[in-house]
Amino acid sequence: MIEYDAIVIGSGITGGWAAKELTEKGLRTLVIERGRNVVHRKDYITEHKPSWEMPLRDARLSVGTKGAEEFPIQARTGQFRESNKHFFMKDAKNPYIEDKPFTWIQGDQVGGKSLIWGRQVYRWSDLDFEANLRDGHGVDWPVRYADIAPWYSYVERFIGVSGEKLGLPQLPDGEFQPPMEMNAGEKFVKVGIEKAFPGRHVTIGRVAILTQPLHGRLPCHYCGPCERGCSTGSYFSSQSSTLPAARATGRLTIVPNSVVHSLIYDARKNRVSGVRVVDTNTKATREYSARLVFLCASTLATTRILLNSTSPQFPNGLANSSGVLGRYLMDHHFLAGAYGSIEGLLDHYYQGNRPNGIYVLRFRNLGDDASRRDYVRGFGYQGGAGREGWGRGGSGRGFGVELKRRLHDPGNWSFGMTGFGECLPREDNYVTLSDKTDEFGIPLLKIHCTWGDNELAMRKDMAASGAEMLEAAGCTKVRTYDAYTGVDQLGAEPGFAIHEMGTARMGRDPKTSVLNAHNQAHEVPNLFVTDGACMASSSCVNPSITYMALTARACDHAVEELKRRNL
Amino acid sequence: MLLGGAISAPTLMGALDAATRSTWTTAQGWAPRTLSPAQLELVAVMADHIIPQTETPGARAAGVHRFADTLLSDHYPASERDQFLAGLANVDARARSRHGKTFVECTADQRVALLTEMDDVAYPEGRSDAADPPPDTWFFRRLKEVTLVGYYTSQMGATQELHVTPFGVYRGDIPYSSVGRAWA
Repeated sequence: MIEYDAIVIGSGITGGWAAKELTEKGLRTLVIERGRNVVHRKDYITEHKPSWEMPLRDARLSVGTKGAEEFPIQARTGQFRESNKHFFMKDAKNPYIEDKPFTWIQGDQVGGKSLIWGRQVYRWSDLDFEANLRDGHGVDWPVRYADIAPWYSYVERFIGVSGEKLGLPQLPDGEFQPPMEMNAGEKFVKVGIEKAFPGRHVTIGRVAILTQPLHGRLPCHYCGPCERGCSTGSYFSSQSSTLPAARATGRLTIVPNSVVHSLIYDARKNRVSGVRVVDTNTKATREYSARLVFLCASTLATTRILLNSTSPQFPNGLANSSGVLGRYLMDHHFLAGAYGSIEGLLDHYYQGNRPNGIYVLRFRNLGDDASRRDYVRGFGYQGGAGREGWGRGGSGRGFGVELKRRLHDPGNWSFGMTGFGECLPREDNYVTLSDKTDEFGIPLLKIHCTWGDNELAMRKDMAASGAEMLEAAGCTKVRTYDAYTGVDQLGAEPGFAIHEMGTARMGRDPKTSVLNAHNQAHEVPNLFVTDGACMASSSCVNPSITYMALTARACDHAVEELKRRNL
Repeated sequence: MLLGGAISAPTLMGALDAATRSTWTTAQGWAPRTLSPAQLELVAVMADHIIPQTETPGARAAGVHRFADTLLSDHYPASERDQFLAGLANVDARARSRHGKTFVECTADQRVALLTEMDDVAYPEGRSDAADPPPDTWFFRRLKEVTLVGYYTSQMGATQELHVTPFGVYRGDIPYSSVGRAWA
């Protein structure tokens, strides 16, 4: 057994942050990663590869097609393509059971999903942190915006975020680099919406992509597909940012190809004493020990580890006397919205593949006359405008020279957007362990999650309000859409937004929550959970930066507690 | 316009330009894995009608037929592959019943007429937003899609007919006249 000061399980967005913070604070830290190693730059094997050098021309690999055979779950997401499939989990490596459709998109490499994430970053506000208390769904967050705000700033200054300051309480500003520019179609829609609906705001996406150099990383060069990996480190990933910082301390060790089976609990000391690991290549087991354990394995993987860490004191999973571990699973619900055409602007065009879109801030249930009676909480929209490309030739009549001439020029402008809606924390959305085990001897996760009445009512408004705004802005041929077609159907099922969170929530009361205000297990002081599992509600904004801020804050607390000999 | 608004006879008659010849030359050693030589030629001829040579090379020169064979071999589920192959057979059956020859053997005018028929049926009333296109037109719509993808993501299509947006800066609002071609 090798002794470390701290063990971090997972090397993705939060694991990388925990590694950086703990090593920089002087702790010899071991990062355990179930996936293979991915080396910055060297292993971005499709970066900048032109379409014609890929046999399928970077086809979207959908379920059932050749090329997606090993990824029957991962291929559900539109993100999964020929050029990035090597950054997704081969599903047979980590099967799970869907009680109801739930799409679990996973990375399986050092860096985790930080290599392929959407990079949109929005601060929460007290609108979010107070939501549970205000309407009674879920338990009250043990923190408020003032507790987290300095950590948002700390994180933003390190990762680099470009965006526009708005001075609005529902979406607090951050430490921004200059924003990316909107295109002409987006400016048209922004002006139209803001004129027709005072109090509604359209802004360029706030995104963890540099527009200025930062810590040796270069500004974006607008090649487009970030998720192939970025050698200039222009978007935040563990590889480009946190892991190099941790490595620079000389106190970081990473072991890839090592899946955590369970945590070892020392009842006499009431501490986690170590971690049981299975080598994914040899199936050999190993143990590591440390004074401190951070679970950053991703929401569901983290909870699975805790559920599988049983002992006489914790027969239902470590730190789970409350019985809430595994419950209150959430995701954002999306793919309901509207799209339309913009007439004219045909002398306007753009240059560069901007890996970012626009954001329409939440405007519902802010306590004003835009509030609703049919649902609580709210949603924002993500979307963008562009001119139609050559693909439009496939949707209408015509061929030959006439078609080729027509496709030589870009087509009309169109604008589309999807809501991202908050999901309520509900006890009957939960995960448990199955009797079946995977090839590493770890019980499979069984997931039961459905949208509730509140989400479904909100979706109607996401579509209708989207159309209403686009029409008011002067768009034509406006249509609504909603990809959700029923509780047993794929299309906009839970998990599909890849914002799964909850199941080991923070709270004030050990009887109703797993973690305290510092992401520390109420019952096991040297155990911290800082990935999405910790969330007590979901807000409607993309969650990753909140995970990062909570992680940095928890590391600070953990090291202080170590110094005080409380751990 | 170099060739006028109609389908140009030269491209149909196999008067290959230098780029086209070089494509065949570099294709030595390459052999289709799903399509027969006759099917491959049928795809090449149809694709070249859809995106013909103009000032820039057309679909055949860009190797769309080889891309189609790759899709059929390495991407399509068996059911879609078979549906595509059946669609090719139907094209020849239609040409035979009308003209007593395979599609490739037909004259250029005959081929254009056959394609126009298929195109008209595939996109009812020329509407692009028809809710449910007629099911028996799946093949033609798919062939057109394969042709467009194969052509515009090829090096010729992306860099000669259109152009690839340069790396470096993003400019959100520039005059289209300063670009003059769609980005690939």
